[in-house]
Amino acid sequence: MDDGVRLMERIRERDTAAFELLYSGYHRLVFGIALRMLADTTMAEDLTQSVFLKLWSSPATFRDGNFGAWLSRVTRNRALDVLRSRAAKIEGEIPVDIPAEGSVDDVIFAKLDSQRVRAALAALPDEQRAPIEMGFYGGITHEEIAKRTGIPLGTIKTRIRSGLRRLRGELQSAVSR
Amino acid sequence: MNPPFDREAMLELVAAYALGVLPESEHALVAAFIREDAQARAEFAALRPVADAIGLAAEEPVDSARAARMKDRLMAIVRAEAAASNITQIGASQRSAPSNRAGLIGTGLAAAAAIAFALVSTIQNFSLRSDLENARRNVAQLQTAATTNERTHVREAQRDRETVADLVAADAQRFAVPEGDVVKRGDRVYFALRSLPPLPKGKVYQAWTLAKGAKTVSPSVTFVPSADGVAVIALPEKASNLAAVALSVEPEGGSKAPTSKPTFIRSLS
Repeated sequence: MDDGVRLMERIRERDTAAFELLYSGYHRLVFGIALRMLADTTMAEDLTQSVFLKLWSSPATFRDGNFGAWLSRVTRNRALDVLRSRAAKIEGEIPVDIPAEGSVDDVIFAKLDSQRVRAALAALPDEQRAPIEMGFYGGITHEEIAKRTGIPLGTIKTRIRSGLRRLRGELQSAVSR
Repeated sequence: MNPPFDREAMLELVAAYALGVLPESEHALVAAFIREDAQARAEFAALRPVADAIGLAAEEPVDSARAARMKDRLMAIVRAEAAASNITQIGASQRSAPSNRAGLIGTGLAAAAAIAFALVSTIQNFSLRSDLENARRNVAQLQTAATTNERTHVREAQRDRETVADLVAADAQRFAVPEGDVVKRGDRVYFALRSLPPLPKGKVYQAWTLAKGAKTVSPSVTFVPSADGVAVIALPEKASNLAAVALSVEPEGGSKAPTSKPTFIRSLS
């Protein structure tokens, strides 16, 4: 169980000290994603506060698994709300309604940190990394990625899938080293 | 006859779904496929954590001033909310405010209103609108609970509702003081304070008003903030008659003239 999971348990009991520790441990992650997606420090700051307030007001929304990865998804979805208010073409919210299986993943992904993920992303061929990053941080659909890059949609779909599979392999190798 | 089923194409859509780049119009189809097909479920289970992990790469150092500013704002709101919960749990039976504390908002709504105010006054933008709405709803729920207990609470709830509405109103004028803000809206004026120092034993905070054209201040309400230094105070005086307001620490029961150095003095122009 990682620190985030333990702290969230205490936050459910309205422990403000746990919330403070959670903020100290994870604000860089939330701010980083927000800044990357919104490209505006003030908006990223506001979004960071918004995400943490949500954690405080609705701690039960986190159930289990890797807290950092979950928080990353929550932050991305919140940033997408902002991007949607700017443009009509944003649709790519990471789904949360279908439970992912496989407890082994939790063990692997609990060991991940930003350096390992950066290294794993850097190991991908550009043609796979680019559409994945465009989709994740830009909050755009694969159709929009195809349009912006001029690459056929079928190719983009294939590259995203093979890129994610390869990234999974890279991450698994990284945590086992 | 159904068209031929292209499993590989569907699995590509599952990957797009896991990454969050699938158009919303295709979500239902792919979600159903994941539920029905074991291979699709396995694919989704394998790729969604990978997609989630991508965000970890974005972790950025945050300069210490920004980090501290964000933390201070958050903790002020969180502590106020925690205080509101505690006060609410204590119950309505303990709500017996002395008459000279008439301006102090009752029931734990003070802290709830402080949350609403803090949300608005510190972070007035898109991303917290929903949180603000939640805070407003919380205040409304607290008000509802209060009105069912005692008839007298109706008036108090109405006043609290008006207070919250005034504090969050776009046309409210805010005058910053080191401990928070003085808020003026229409003919009403409030102290919305969130970092008042603890009071010495036997002391209270007392508000002071300076009427337009007057040379000396007049005594207004006394109050004791929450343990976290939070207080939302409605002054009984008409804002349109006032040139300035002030706050000082006074003996319990209040004073006729300030007996200590003012905590703040704030012009309302």
